[in-house]
Amino acid sequence: MTRSQKKGPFVDEKLYNKVVMAKDRNDNSPIKTWCRRCTIVPEFVGRKFEIHNGRRFIPLYVTEEMVGHKLGEFSPTRTYKGHISGKRK
Amino acid sequence: MPRIAGVDIPANKKIEYSLRYIYAIGPHVSLKILKAANIEPGVKAKDLTEDEVGRIATVIEQDYQVEGAARRFVSGNIARLRDIACYRGLRHRMGLPCRGQKTRSNARTRKGPKKTVAGKKGVKELSRG
Repeated sequence: MTRSQKKGPFVDEKLYNKVVMAKDRNDNSPIKTWCRRCTIVPEFVGRKFEIHNGRRFIPLYVTEEMVGHKLGEFSPTRTYKGHISGKRK
Repeated sequence: MPRIAGVDIPANKKIEYSLRYIYAIGPHVSLKILKAANIEPGVKAKDLTEDEVGRIATVIEQDYQVEGAARRFVSGNIARLRDIACYRGLRHRMGLPCRGQKTRSNARTRKGPKKTVAGKKGVKELSRG
């Protein structure tokens, strides 16, 4: 079910502050985060993140089109390399 | 047979239903259009006057995206998801369902016809039967 409009988008405050502070300092080094549930807000555009997928940090450069999605959507948690071809064996 | 929004030729049904043959017009929009055009939903499509058909056409043209425009809108949205490589975009690329359905079984609409894998459990019985 979609989130109630009245609550507004969910943004992790700690992460948000970190982003704003980094912006003030003109620091564009990637921000490591575990906060996959955090919505991407316009302030994040042009920033670099490293989003944990449970094992590794997946680098992500946020573009304008990504606003409104969650950070976790860009850091796949499953590995699937396909099945071994059935013909051999 | 009246002709609305380009190629579509709704049949010999009530206009409320025949409008739905146009892509991107469903039950709700159909009724809304008829209300805006001030036409009784129960009238058969063939019984509409030229003027009424024209009124429907103008309402659709002004306020709704139908057929090609609507299709472009949808495929544009999907292309966007693919481009930004978010989870839904990846699922679209892989041709798998993107709304969290299970894929262990079923999901045939997205995955297409069954591909039988040799050596998998149960195949012998299948090929004999």
